[in-house]
Amino acid sequence: MPDGSYERPQQRQFNPYSENGGTILAIAGADFSVIAGDTRQSEGYSIQTRYAPKVFRLTERAVLAVNGFAADGNMFVKKVKQRLEWYRHAHAKDMPLRAIARLIQTMLYAQRFFPYYVYNILGGIEEDGTGAVYSFDPVGSYEREACRAAGAAQSLVQPFLDNQIYFKNQTPAPGASHPTHLPLPDVLSIVIDSFTSATERHIEVGDGLEIYVVLAKGRSTQELASIGGLQELSTRAEGDRMFVIRRDLKKD
Amino acid sequence: MNSFADRFATTGTAAELRRIKEYVADDEDVSDSMWGSEAGFGTMAHGAPDFMVPSVPDPAAFLRLHTDDHADPSCRIKIKHGTTTLAFRYKGGVIVAVDSRATAGSYVASGTVKKVIEINPYLLGTMAGGAADCQYWETYLGMQCRLHELRNHERISVAAASKYLSNLVYSYKGMGLSMGTMICGWDKTGPAIFYVDSDGTRLKGDLFSVGSGSTFAYGVLDQGYHWDLTDEEAQELGRRSIYAAGHRDAFSGNTINLYHVKEQGWQFIGNYDVSEMHYNGPTGTQGYGYSVRVEGRSSANPPV
Amino acid sequence: MDISFALTGKGYVIVAADTTAARSIVKMKSDEDKIKVLSPHLLMAFSGEPGDTVNFAEYVERNLRLYHIRHTYALRPASAASWIRRSLAESLRSRSPYAVNLLLGGYDTATHTPELYWVDYMGTLTSVPFGAHGYGSYFALSLLDRYHDPEANLEEGLATLRRCIDEVSKRLVVSPGKYKVKVVDKDGVREIEL
Repeated sequence: MPDGSYERPQQRQFNPYSENGGTILAIAGADFSVIAGDTRQSEGYSIQTRYAPKVFRLTERAVLAVNGFAADGNMFVKKVKQRLEWYRHAHAKDMPLRAIARLIQTMLYAQRFFPYYVYNILGGIEEDGTGAVYSFDPVGSYEREACRAAGAAQSLVQPFLDNQIYFKNQTPAPGASHPTHLPLPDVLSIVIDSFTSATERHIEVGDGLEIYVVLAKGRSTQELASIGGLQELSTRAEGDRMFVIRRDLKKD
Repeated sequence: MNSFADRFATTGTAAELRRIKEYVADDEDVSDSMWGSEAGFGTMAHGAPDFMVPSVPDPAAFLRLHTDDHADPSCRIKIKHGTTTLAFRYKGGVIVAVDSRATAGSYVASGTVKKVIEINPYLLGTMAGGAADCQYWETYLGMQCRLHELRNHERISVAAASKYLSNLVYSYKGMGLSMGTMICGWDKTGPAIFYVDSDGTRLKGDLFSVGSGSTFAYGVLDQGYHWDLTDEEAQELGRRSIYAAGHRDAFSGNTINLYHVKEQGWQFIGNYDVSEMHYNGPTGTQGYGYSVRVEGRSSANPPV
Repeated sequence: MDISFALTGKGYVIVAADTTAARSIVKMKSDEDKIKVLSPHLLMAFSGEPGDTVNFAEYVERNLRLYHIRHTYALRPASAASWIRRSLAESLRSRSPYAVNLLLGGYDTATHTPELYWVDYMGTLTSVPFGAHGYGSYFALSLLDRYHDPEANLEEGLATLRRCIDEVSKRLVVSPGKYKVKVVDKDGVREIEL
């Protein structure tokens, strides 16, 4: 500077984003939906906590998994839940799944110029009783799919899902064909295998696994009977039912 | 975040957004209670929705810093890009064909994207650029088109619908929206296509292709195009052109979605796997692939 | 930006290159020949950094001529392509590399086979049924995927080349006006007016 000092104009950068690792995943069946996520939360190479849920129950038949920047994610889930409560007060019923999907689009797009750094996957049961998965990008573009992995290990998990759920690069035996929907036990083993493998090969995945299972109204719960760590979340036995399975993943 | 002073300032981003809102606002007043919880698009009855803007001197630069993957490949928020879309007009209506790949950097984020947005039974929009921008604003356009119908007891023209979208995105110019779309439909004037992008360009035309693979699509499309195509020929040309782009452009591929717009409205023709087209073609008899097509043919010319 | 195309057909290779020599926004010349005749059955279209292009092409031309004089026969296309590629690869690793992209079209009189090689300034060499350099490739490659036929006669081959040139004229903002077209077949090389 002219006075001989070394002062320069100060520059500041506003960086309100971080990345907290972890992976989420959802698979839709014919009359059920499975939504899962690990519970590790990290920043850089440090683990902040071994139990930070990324999967949240929204209604009796809708579950939302959020991944990316945890602070944005938690805020977003909070706001979605608030909007769903307002809807309940106005209409005396839960918002249908496809409407929640559209709501999430508009809420994410409202932040188009200051985005939530979150990847959302919505799973649950549609009004017609079918299992559904919706996946979103951070600014709200969305699509209904049969399965989707997002987050740190999405590039490890999604190809496995493509192979096991969509039967990509598999040729059926002559005269046979691939099933369009897998049975619940198969889906659960695929989910568990996805996370144990992702834990092995990705440093940001591990610690715990939470698997939410939403079953359509009237569906048998028989297949869940033998599963360990199962807890029912639904308040009524009639209607759609929701369960959560909590399991350990490797902690190193 | 937005201070009291901001709310009444006449300069700055907040004021700019306020002006945008006023510009597109509707004359009708619909109260919040009519929408109950205001779920979904409830808030939009007032015109353009509210957008949260970061409190920084240059919000567009802020957004670019965190989302633009050309400026910084390591930036966190990857907005999906990469596409080939095309539409052309001919005597039998409009053909709309698109691929289905979405990429985030070099990762194929999805291979099943619906890049044709069904605005209403007579209007289609295509998606290139920001997936969310196209999906959101074309859905919003659909609502405004319906309101036009209710107000005027008449369907909106393709020209008017595309102009509405063009004016809308133009009002956000410089804020970082990214879309290149074709609004296709059939109105009183017959089949029509308008190209609209986020720069504010709006072009009427017979044939357009948009996206990273557009040059490859043009290469096949231009050579096979003429006004008097039959419906089958036109559909084949659309499908073949998207295949060409899927084959030559790494950011395009997976599957082809084909639509045909006729006087009675649009019709979905089908979904075709690009690899399947390469080896077997749409009927399973003749693949589009070069090596498949010239199998057994040789340029060697030994003396007989 | 230079544009060049080449395609094989039944017993021949067609090589085409635009004829503009530009500097900044000015067209300096509009009848520049960017296709060298390297030997009785070998053509080379060259494009890239101004200055490098002609210098490298002449270097190649003289060396292949020397080989021809010393051995009384010319290098076959595959061998010539290998030598040219290696020259580029060595140049790339020198203090001042040549930035030149090539299309090598030749006719192997021993096997009666037309041969086409696509070569870039990095020393990538690949044998192709058709090829292109410059912005024209973005339009022509998909077109050639669709219309190229290895068994096409010369007339059909030229019609396909015409499609490429027309397409580029139609779609490319800075499209060149004129092209020089040369053909190599069993009878040697010759220039063709489109």
